[in-house]
This record gives sequence, structure tokens and C-alpha cells, in this order.
Amino acid sequence: MLRRPDPARLITAIGRFASRERDGRDERTAAWLGAALGVSFTVAFVTGLISHFMQHPPGWAVWPSRPVGLYRLTQGAHVIGGLATIPLLLAKLWTVYPRLWQWPPVRSAGHALERALVFPLVGGALFQLVTGLFNIAYFYPFPFFFTTAHYWTAYIVYGALVVHVANEWAKVRGLRPGHGSADARPTGPSRRGFLATVAGACGLVGLTTVGETFTPLGGLALLSPRRPGVGPQRLPVNKTAAAAGVRPDPAWRLAVTGDVARELSLSLADLRAMPQHAARLPIACVEGWSAAGTWAGVRLRDVLHAAGVHAGARVRVESLEAGGRYRASEVDPPHWRDELTLLALDLNGEPLSPDHGYPCRLIAPDRPGVLQTKWIARLVVHGS
Amino acid sequence: MRVGRGRLIAYGLGAALIGVGGAGLLRDAAETDPVGWLVWVAGAALVHDLLVVPAVLGVALLTGRLPTSYRRPVRVSLVLAASVSAVALPMVLGLGRRAGDPSRLPQAYGVHLAVVLALIGLAGAVATAFRAIRAGRGRSRRPR
Ligand code: HEM
Repeated sequence: MLRRPDPARLITAIGRFASRERDGRDERTAAWLGAALGVSFTVAFVTGLISHFMQHPPGWAVWPSRPVGLYRLTQGAHVIGGLATIPLLLAKLWTVYPRLWQWPPVRSAGHALERALVFPLVGGALFQLVTGLFNIAYFYPFPFFFTTAHYWTAYIVYGALVVHVANEWAKVRGLRPGHGSADARPTGPSRRGFLATVAGACGLVGLTTVGETFTPLGGLALLSPRRPGVGPQRLPVNKTAAAAGVRPDPAWRLAVTGDVARELSLSLADLRAMPQHAARLPIACVEGWSAAGTWAGVRLRDVLHAAGVHAGARVRVESLEAGGRYRASEVDPPHWRDELTLLALDLNGEPLSPDHGYPCRLIAPDRPGVLQTKWIARLVVHGS
Repeated sequence: MRVGRGRLIAYGLGAALIGVGGAGLLRDAAETDPVGWLVWVAGAALVHDLLVVPAVLGVALLTGRLPTSYRRPVRVSLVLAASVSAVALPMVLGLGRRAGDPSRLPQAYGVHLAVVLALIGLAGAVATAFRAIRAGRGRSRRPR
């Protein structure tokens, strides 16, 4: 006669089998990895929120336009730090894996709640890393819109992390010198070796990708989805003119309308007749890559002053693009008043290529690439 | 066990963040597709717990049979190789390439990954040889 499988024995047996490998499997290793993850997820959450609120500023706040490379730095840290977190998270989960198979599955109401929270923590953390990685690889096999799902999941994961850290705080505190916990065996070569290996894996992932945003290491960016210097006019492109459905139009004019003293309609020749300025500014993509170019054209503020605007005005920059999430962007006073903010006509010494926004695009300091609107058709001025 | 004030504050903060995220996810359901989202969150956990870790466990038990002087460098090399491969995989598959935008995924990722893996293998082999030599010396010096 067949015996009914006994879940208690099965689960315990799996747990015992899973803990047969001892490498990396002690509490202090878990605490060290947990502390590192706490740091990396905090960096990811904060830089992610910066990216979100730069694109969707709350009514009461405006972003500064300096330092020029701030967004380049925060989003580079977000994405490259996120990639480097992949081995770190996997190592942590390896360390605590046997605990998945414990019997009884729950010992008390508190224990049940604690275990229930592990699901959003682990599933959510894996979700963030996997969808983030797929997104920067332009691979979208999921049914949701990446940015929105990744955004809200960040709160869930970070909230679960805060609770988890509160529960485990005693163990993390035990890591400090002089705070040996009861479990503290001397740091053996095995634990140090394991942690060093994990650190090496994180470092190697960072080293082979960081060049996509930190140009001095561009030569090492063997595995990054972008390479600075590769693209039309030596600058990568995210949306091509063809993809945007925009064709060069010899009759093109720039309209300046809305809350202005006099409406303007400027041809390319009119813009070229105005004082020209050059600025070296990066395209800093939300996807973490960035690359600097030398842009030339007219200052946005010169055009706005010619039209007559008040100092607190906001400007909507609209593209020739018919649709799409990034068809238009808002420019707040700190940015349009900045002397570096240009309506660029040239890139790296040549007129903009169609893929970089010919005839005219916005380029401003400290601003996500998706807001550097290309193929500008209109500037619409409105109240602050 | 007494629950201190700091911990209660942390619980409150954590619960609030989870609440904000959950509410946002549902409010933006048109974009987040909560059912699809749940499938991906649960799927990620299941794939990890039932496929990835068992596979790693298998490799760990296999490499556990190696003599000690080989075991460590082999394992370190495998961890490094698996990490870079996991991160590079979407690039190597190149499913995100688009005609007309050659600056997107512009590199020969398969070749690049092979180079990185070869370097890891080389470093691992050098470390193994080094350890073997050192272990041999140690043995011959030991008094009988
Ligand atoms: C491999 C790891 C990760 C990668 C590659 C990655 C990638 C990205 C990318 C490309 C964006 C920009 C989305 C856009 O504006 O179009 C982004 C935004 C964001 N990320 Fe991540 N991420 C990763 C991990 C994380 C983690 C662990 C967290 C949180 C704990 C997080 C939180 C956020 C937040 C809050 C945003 C802002 C979303 C918005 O603008 O609405 N990310 N991430």
C-alpha cells in the first residue's frame, strides 16, 4: 500500500538536503549581505525617486539646474548599482535558502506575519532587478508598463525591507566590533572568502557596464547596452526620427505662443541669426547610460525674452512627434533661465542629425534624457 | 520579547510604504496590470526558489567532491562567471535590437561575454595552479 507523503518529513528532508552545502551558510554572512543590500536598496530607492520626481515634479517643488551632471550621476548609480546588486541579492538568498523549508511552516501569528512579508520582499526584490535589467536591454516580455510597475513595486519592496531590517536589527548590530552576538564564531577564511567572492562578482558586473555612463571606463563597457561615442554624430540615440514618424520639413518654423507679450514664428535662418552659444552637456538617459556632446544653438532664455515672458513662467516644449509619452516636456524657471539651456541646432560641430532632433532640440543641464525634447515645433508659455 | 519604540516606528513606516505601493499599483491598474504583476512577482520567486537555487546546489555538491585546493578557485570562478552571464544574457540574446537604431545594443555581446568568461577561467586556472604548487611545497617541507 502506498503511504501518504508526510509534509513534515518531506519539508524537513528538503531543508536538510539544502543545508548540506555549508559555504556561505551562516548567520553572520547573512547579516553582512543584508547590511550591504540595505545600502544598495536605499541608494536604488532614493535615486529612483529622484528620477521619478524629476519627471513628475510635485507642484510645490522645482529642481535646480545645477550641478550639471547630477541626474547623470544619480541615474547611473541607480542602474549600475542595480546591476551590481544582482549577485548580491542572489548571494543573500543562497545564504538563507534552507529557512524556506522549515517545519512547522508557522509557529505563531507573529511568525506567520514575518514569513508572509518575505514574499513581497523576495519576490519584489527579484522583480525590480529582473524588470530593470530587461528594460535597459529593451526587452519587454511583461504585460505591464515597466516604469509604473517598477515605481510602485519600489515602495512595496522598500517597505517590506524596513520591516525586515527592524526584525533583524539585533543581528546586524552584532556585526560591529565589540558587539559579538552569541553566534559570533571567529571570522573564518570560509566566510571571508565567500563575502570576498560576492564582492568580486558585484565589482565585475559593475566594471563591465559602468563605462556606459562613466566615459573614462568606456573601454571596459563590454556588456553594457550602450556605448558612449556609438551613434550618429558619436552619440547614442533612443528614439529615431523614423520611429517618431518625423521627417525633415524645409518649411519648418518654431512657434512661441501662450502667455507671451508677442507671439513668435522663427525659421531656422532666424534662429541662426540670433547669438549662438555652445555648451558641453550630457544626454543622461533614464536607462542609466549617458554621453556628453558639444551642442550649439540659441539660449532658450534669449528666445523667451524676445517673446516677452515673466520670470516665473513655465514652458511646455512640444515636439513634431504626433504622439508618445515623451512628446512634450515642461521647463521650469531654474532650467530655462540657465545660460546652458539651449535650443540646439548643432551637435559636435555639425547640424543635428534627424535622429538627434533636426532641426532643433532642447538640451539642458541636470535633466533626464526623455525630457530633452527633440524635433521641437512649439514653445508654449504658461503661468507658474 | 519587548517590542521597542524604534521597532514600532519601523513597522509603521514599512506598512505605510507597502500601503502606498499597493494602492498605487491598483490605482494605475491600466498600466500595471495587477494580475500580470502578481504572476511576475510570484514567478520570479518560484523560478528562483525551485530552479535557480537547486541548480546552484547541484553544482555546489558536485564541486564539493573536488580536492580542497581546487575547490575554492573553481567555485569562485563559477560564481563570477554565472553573475556576469546572468546580467549579460538579455544583451547576448539581443531581443531588444531594433532595425534603424544601430546605437541600441551595438556590441557583439556573445563575443564580449566569451572574452570575460575566458579571462575568469584563466584567472581561476592560475589561482588553482598556484595553490597546487604551494600545497605541494608545503607537503615536501613537512617533516616525516
Ligand atoms: C537591476 C536593477 C535595476 C535597474 C536596471 C533599474 C532600472 C531603472 C530604470 C531604467 C528606471 C527609469 C524608468 C523610466 O523613467 O523610464 C528606473 C526607475 C526607478 N527605479 Fe529602478 N532599477 C533597478 C532596481 C531598482 C530597485 C532595487 C529599486 C527600489 C528599491 C528601484 C526603484 C526605482 C524607482 C522608484 C524608479 C522611478 C520610477 C519612475 O520614474 O516612476 N529600482 N529603474
